[in-house]
Amino acid sequence: MEKFSYIGKGMKRIDTACKATGEALFAADLALPRMLVGKVLRSPHAHARIVAIDTAKAEKLPGVKAVLTAKDTFGDKWGVFKYTQDQQFLPTEKVRYVGEEVAAVAAVDEDTALEALSLIDVTYEVLPAVYTIEDALAPGAPQLHDVYPNNLNIHVFINVGDVEKGFTHSHLVREDTFSAPEDSYFQGEPYAVAAQFDHAGNLEIWMPNAGPHLKAKPLSNVLKMPLNKVRVRKITIGGAFGGRSEISPADVICAFLAKKAQRPVKIVYSREENTVCTRQAHSMIAKIKTGVDKEGRVVARDITCHMDGGAYSSTGPIATSVPFLCMEQAYRMENVRYNGYRVLTNKPIRGMFRTHGRAFACGVDIQLDMIGEALGIDPLTMRLRNARQTGDTTPTKSYVASCGLTETIEKTGKKSRWAEKFGRLPPYHGIGIGCNSVQTGFPMGIRGGSQAFIKLNEDGGVTVITGIVDNGQGNDHMIVQIAAEELGLTPDDVQLINADTEVTPSDPGSYSMCETFIGGNAVLLAAQDVKKKLFRIVADEFGVSAEQLSAKNRKIFVTKDPQQEMSIAKAVRMALTRNESISGEGSYWPKVDWRREWVKNPSGQLSETFSFGTVICEVKVDPETGQVEVLEVTASQDVGYALNPKVIEGQFEGGVAMGGQGGMLTEYLQWYEGRVLTPTQLGYLVPLAIDMPTINNIIVETIDPKGPYGAKEAGMSVAMSAAQAYCGAISNAVGVYFHEYPITPDKILKAIEEKKKQERKG
Amino acid sequence: MNEMKKTAITLSVNNETYDIVAFPNRTLLEVLRDDLHLTGTKESCGEGVCGSCTVLIDGTPVRSCLTLAVAVQGKEITTIEGLSMGEKLHPVQEAFVNHHAIQCGFCSPGMILTSYALLAENPNPTEKEIRRAISGNVCRCTGYAKIVEAVKSLAEEGK
Repeated sequence: MEKFSYIGKGMKRIDTACKATGEALFAADLALPRMLVGKVLRSPHAHARIVAIDTAKAEKLPGVKAVLTAKDTFGDKWGVFKYTQDQQFLPTEKVRYVGEEVAAVAAVDEDTALEALSLIDVTYEVLPAVYTIEDALAPGAPQLHDVYPNNLNIHVFINVGDVEKGFTHSHLVREDTFSAPEDSYFQGEPYAVAAQFDHAGNLEIWMPNAGPHLKAKPLSNVLKMPLNKVRVRKITIGGAFGGRSEISPADVICAFLAKKAQRPVKIVYSREENTVCTRQAHSMIAKIKTGVDKEGRVVARDITCHMDGGAYSSTGPIATSVPFLCMEQAYRMENVRYNGYRVLTNKPIRGMFRTHGRAFACGVDIQLDMIGEALGIDPLTMRLRNARQTGDTTPTKSYVASCGLTETIEKTGKKSRWAEKFGRLPPYHGIGIGCNSVQTGFPMGIRGGSQAFIKLNEDGGVTVITGIVDNGQGNDHMIVQIAAEELGLTPDDVQLINADTEVTPSDPGSYSMCETFIGGNAVLLAAQDVKKKLFRIVADEFGVSAEQLSAKNRKIFVTKDPQQEMSIAKAVRMALTRNESISGEGSYWPKVDWRREWVKNPSGQLSETFSFGTVICEVKVDPETGQVEVLEVTASQDVGYALNPKVIEGQFEGGVAMGGQGGMLTEYLQWYEGRVLTPTQLGYLVPLAIDMPTINNIIVETIDPKGPYGAKEAGMSVAMSAAQAYCGAISNAVGVYFHEYPITPDKILKAIEEKKKQERKG
Repeated sequence: MNEMKKTAITLSVNNETYDIVAFPNRTLLEVLRDDLHLTGTKESCGEGVCGSCTVLIDGTPVRSCLTLAVAVQGKEITTIEGLSMGEKLHPVQEAFVNHHAIQCGFCSPGMILTSYALLAENPNPTEKEIRRAISGNVCRCTGYAKIVEAVKSLAEEGK
């Protein structure tokens, strides 16, 4: 008999048929009786004092049911952390970026709402603004917030070992600077939120989110409502990629409008609003100094990274740390210093992004290539010599319980025929490699664990109740797959209630790649709890011990004598006739160091386990046009255990598209001062089907000792390695290392030209 | 806006006739979603770039966000809701589900309709033809590999 019925199988997802038919409802699809259209008035200035807001004309327009300004709110400042509470959802004193919320209306239709916005008179006193890291840090620069002198928002400082001594003892030391402008999430679904209050004053609210409980708590705080009266409901979500983890001003504004109008309100963002007024990814400048021994092993590393955080803190302390933490997980580095500075500018707010900074990751990886070239060591060998190993402890004191990085490097190298190709490709062909690692959760205080309940139904089916949310990656399916497997049921027997804060227990959210490891473990434990209780009933009946029983195909049977069997439905009814009702409960709290804090104490177990990935990319560059043709990509990740290989492949392929193809070739926001010039897909070029190369997927399984069935997470380490592989390949093809990203044709042509000049000189 | 008058519009959508009264500047996308409650057709960019709002007009994939509802009277409009056959998925939908071509699902209705139109015109497309045909539909999740596989599987079945 096969060990598993569903786990490890590439079974089709339970949530995709209704997406194929168009039945799945996203927030913008909701239509509630008497629902109004909400629209937001936004700042046209990057930095201005709000002198007065006159809403009288807007209020008189027929069809307008509510006009909202800051005076209708409580004015509290919100922040992810106590020390970053700096954002009012409707600012009272000044606006800090073009697009910031100033007022809002709810009206009977969109035309009326837009007309009402045009009737709101805002008097601004325009202030000088800063648009770059350099300008923001300059002496005498305009200040965004009183509480962050010199516009310095966050400073993360990590210093492990003796970096200076390490450099002194190094065989070779080099320092390089890498930079990249902002990238953007471009979720398929523009942000949308619908809100209504019921007869008892409970708020029901639907919006894309990466954690309903992460939305409910701040909503209860700013609305000054008890948490139990805030009901974030489940809704289909059109992608997140790190950008939907926090509360949005739209959530708060929509709720206030619904309260004021006493009618349901829906706000649907335009594509431009989604790009400008949700979150963007940080632009950054990473200065990296690395010293190695003769064999290319890193002896010391000193990194200074400046990140443009935009106007507010958002997840700043985390975002400033994670690019470094991923790399310290991926590669051994004993003596290391990190100075991460998040700087505030009059630009839109920056949050967490799936690829966490291409300038940072490429910087660390591409510098290894440069060092390798000087030492006569190829890039793949450089990775192998520095790769993290199982049983290691990272510089900031995380024990690594399982690590398959070396295996991913070796297998990716073999599949892409690295040894045959590197240094042997025709002119303007190149091959490159990148590696990275991600966490499966962070210390998140009281919201760091997940709990699940399972209710047994009379027919032997179950209902799983969990806070886990699905942003599109397949978490709903993961829950059902685990419950069905563990209970010996079919996926059809498993009903799912999730991502609803009224009925589901707390969960960290689909954030920091923790849903499989933490949420999945909670579901697994709840299923085991149910099974134990069912087995007790059946064991009594058969006169055997519970340990002798198994569950499969909707039956419970004696493992060594499968003829002795009872349907699960019958076992449930027997329990009921014994006046016993059966339900299960499971909760999982990762073993992390809760004293660890991003700024004050960046040391201790960060996450219980980590995933590791490698990507190799092969390209052909056209020296006449600077165009890059990507010939083949091979992606590999230590996922712990592949709960559903097809889902994992999809994550790898999507990660290569976003991190490599888009992230290294075409994607960046263009600006005029604080204004985004490319807020739509017309100017911000996300990859198309015709652009994408063949992708080979290699799943590496290390069977994590604590993961559910050994699973960790499903593809972030690939997404975070792809940019480096693309960068390495282009650099290899052109014969020039690139320091500024993305590597657009103009940069390639310039590099080729400079190289030719150098050669003529030399 | 106030000077504009609403006009009677008759649309044939998924073999049903709808008589509505709407402003002549309403796009087909707005009418489908707001008046006919056919919310399977999605708006992602609103300017004809991303393909999320794709519907078929007399069998040809068209951006409904750039199409005025008044302009497509007398034509047969197919939305994603018109593709499945009762409880049974259309083979293109089934292939998308079976091949894991759907993640978040926001682009899927448009992507499926574009694929359907491609296969109707060219039952045996090459991989390049598939990629070209769906390159007017942006997907942010999948990297397209499984979408191409799904469409290819139908082409191969047709052989």
